[in-house]
Amino acid sequence: MKFHILTLNRRAPRLGVLKDVEDRPNVQIETPVALLHTQGGHIPHVTHEVFKLVSNEPQILQISLVSMHCFQETMEYYHGGISEFIGSKDSLTCLTLHDPSNITKQGHHVKDKIPIWTKHGKVLYNSEMYMNIVEHFKPDMYYLLSDGDTNKTSPQKRISKAVENTISFSKQCLERHKKSQLLKNKFVMAPIAGGYCVKARDKCIEALLKEGDVFSGFLIDGLHNNGPEVEFLPFAEVKGVVNYVVKKLPDEKLISVQGCWNPLNVIKLVQLGIDVFDTSYCRILTERSSALTFNIEENEDEENYEINLRDSKFSEDFNPIFDVCKCLACTKYSKAYIHHLLTVQELLAPVLIMIHNIHHYLRFFKKIRECIGNNTLERLEEQISNQYKKHHDKILNKNEDEYRNGFSSGNESEELL
Amino acid sequence: MPNIIKPLVFNVIAECKTSKARASKMILPHGPVDTPVFMPVGTQGTLKGMLPEKLNEMGLQIMLANTYHLGTKPGPEILKKAGGLHKFMNWDRNLLTDSGGFQMVSLLKLAEINEQGVKFQSLNKEKGEVMLTPEHSIEIQNAIGADIIMQLDDVIKTTSPDKSRIEESVYRTTRWLDRCIEAHSNPDTQNIFPIVQGTLYEDLRIISAHDLTKRNLNGFAIGGLSGGESKDDFWKIVHLCTDLLPKNKPRYLMGVGFATDLVVCSALGVDMFDCVFPTRTARFGCALTMTGQLNLKKTKYAKDFKPIDKDCWCSTCKNYTRAYLSGIVTDLPIASTLLTEHNVAFQMRLMQKIRDSICEGKFPEFVQAFMLGVHPDKCYPTWIIDSLMAVNITLL
Ligand SMILES: [Zn+2]
Ligand SMILES: [Zn+2]
Repeated sequence: MKFHILTLNRRAPRLGVLKDVEDRPNVQIETPVALLHTQGGHIPHVTHEVFKLVSNEPQILQISLVSMHCFQETMEYYHGGISEFIGSKDSLTCLTLHDPSNITKQGHHVKDKIPIWTKHGKVLYNSEMYMNIVEHFKPDMYYLLSDGDTNKTSPQKRISKAVENTISFSKQCLERHKKSQLLKNKFVMAPIAGGYCVKARDKCIEALLKEGDVFSGFLIDGLHNNGPEVEFLPFAEVKGVVNYVVKKLPDEKLISVQGCWNPLNVIKLVQLGIDVFDTSYCRILTERSSALTFNIEENEDEENYEINLRDSKFSEDFNPIFDVCKCLACTKYSKAYIHHLLTVQELLAPVLIMIHNIHHYLRFFKKIRECIGNNTLERLEEQISNQYKKHHDKILNKNEDEYRNGFSSGNESEELL
Repeated sequence: MPNIIKPLVFNVIAECKTSKARASKMILPHGPVDTPVFMPVGTQGTLKGMLPEKLNEMGLQIMLANTYHLGTKPGPEILKKAGGLHKFMNWDRNLLTDSGGFQMVSLLKLAEINEQGVKFQSLNKEKGEVMLTPEHSIEIQNAIGADIIMQLDDVIKTTSPDKSRIEESVYRTTRWLDRCIEAHSNPDTQNIFPIVQGTLYEDLRIISAHDLTKRNLNGFAIGGLSGGESKDDFWKIVHLCTDLLPKNKPRYLMGVGFATDLVVCSALGVDMFDCVFPTRTARFGCALTMTGQLNLKKTKYAKDFKPIDKDCWCSTCKNYTRAYLSGIVTDLPIASTLLTEHNVAFQMRLMQKIRDSICEGKFPEFVQAFMLGVHPDKCYPTWIIDSLMAVNITLL
């Protein structure tokens, strides 16, 4: 797989394409792109068969090691790659360490190892174990092992340690990569650690660029500890460091960030030159029973940025989530039905909400690419900014916790069967 | 009367020459149903996370929903405004609803039955006493709009020793049927099925079937079984009831859905079945196969790269290995949807085999092969030997 820049503007904002995929000459993926966030190999609540009803375009699944650790041994015996194993052999895959939709516990570091927090507790990975997984999974793209355990408040000592670890993990992983026949054509991305310290970032970049030829892209890691909090990260906080790192990196390489970024921050990050995001934002919305309804096209005039379908005002609302949306959930199901499914805690509720959210978010990325192409990204930013700010002000007035957990429905149903 | 189309047409296509099994085509307002049929249960107007689009693609022709649950939430008013459950849940094939009575008696310990109806304490915050009458049950079922609706019956525990109470329930069920028919406001689009009662007393079953068949309705149900009675008692009553009910109308045995029971009761002449088992067991990681069940929670599947069943056409078997399913079964809600899909497909496949073998004149051979598959040691339970013997099928 190779990354090509399509726009004259090679830095930011830019359009690109991932193509020349091994065994799949016809697949092309345009950037900026959102990888499909998965857990245990599936978009939360949406089976691969159902996703085919949402989109037929080629996609890259973001496979987090933390959610696949249970298959570590199984994969040693399996002959195919990870995309086939999880039941989606036509998808491309990108292996990463943590699940961006869940908070990654801080600390618990052990020399030469990185802790991941699986459902069954802490597991320590070193470079060798990690590369074993990479060889067994055979993803189309992967990130080298990194220490991304930093955020805005991290002390200098932690930042230095994160950089030190990341440099040494990367070197070890790279050695294995170079020796591996299986991984020869895989798209390797190097993690840049260093929290919010420019000097630390410099050190990491400098060390990794020595091996610059092997890398096809970079991950700006260590901006946050994942989870729903990322939605509310003020852009002003991350702007400086992201901008600094992007400018230091060679412009022909793919640049990615991870996390539940809200759409406004996605646009701002695109404007700084970020190419790759993920759909973990859709998961945190779906978990609080919210559907995205921000306007993407100029002729769309939905009032709310998002709606919470638990709200009893939808109990007799037979309209779709978003009038003009062409997704399966909007063309066939009403808000009243989804509200009913939520009140009786049925599995289909998050399925339908997720179908819409993913569809909406992918449509938003398509619009971003269109706007870069015709130089109207600022107008899109302004439009979404107005709606998002109104929404943000509204929730600031409310108890934020209540908002994040979804509305309490007041008539919780007893499980009868 | 202008253009009234009967809401149920039942044509027997083939009859087994040995047993009482028959294959039929039933035409309902929302399309055809090939019988013998198994109907999965979508209690709240949805089936374990499965999209109706998917069920449609699989060829499912009818599913069941529960009146008690839907009457509570979202309630008849919203269902009426939605234009009925078919529209509300985006399912344009057939639906059947129960009366709600069974659920009340089994779920609510405080339920009390008198001539008027079933009295129970409401689950709502107010905790007031509510009465489900035959009229009320039909009113809710009319709002739901299922193609087949069930009369409210006087449900007694199958194992109850009190014969006079059972006798009362038989007569009361008939009286309630008349009240249901009287209250039914959509006879042109919804079929009401009476329910034969009488627990394990043959004389009471005869009275019940006799009285109910006098009402000229389009199909009949056999109730009050599958409630803890012995299998020896169970099959004899089914055998009796199918003899008592008219040959030219569908017979629905309520609450039965284990593979072996479906095969035996099809041989006894039953046309329709329902049960929560296949979909409920999926939630616990259990996958059904022709020779028994797989519990995918077991670690022995961690390196098993076969599908659940290589002969199954469902997309779970087409795309996933036992190893993968086993790894996600306790962690991802999606796993129960994938297993539900397989289990529903399994039930459909079994019923298809039953229908095909009847049509090809090979039903007894199918039954023999099926039973041998489940009991390769030929240690068949006596109730299976006896029940099949009663319809002239001997096992290998
Ligand atoms: Zn939609
Ligand atoms: Zn299957």
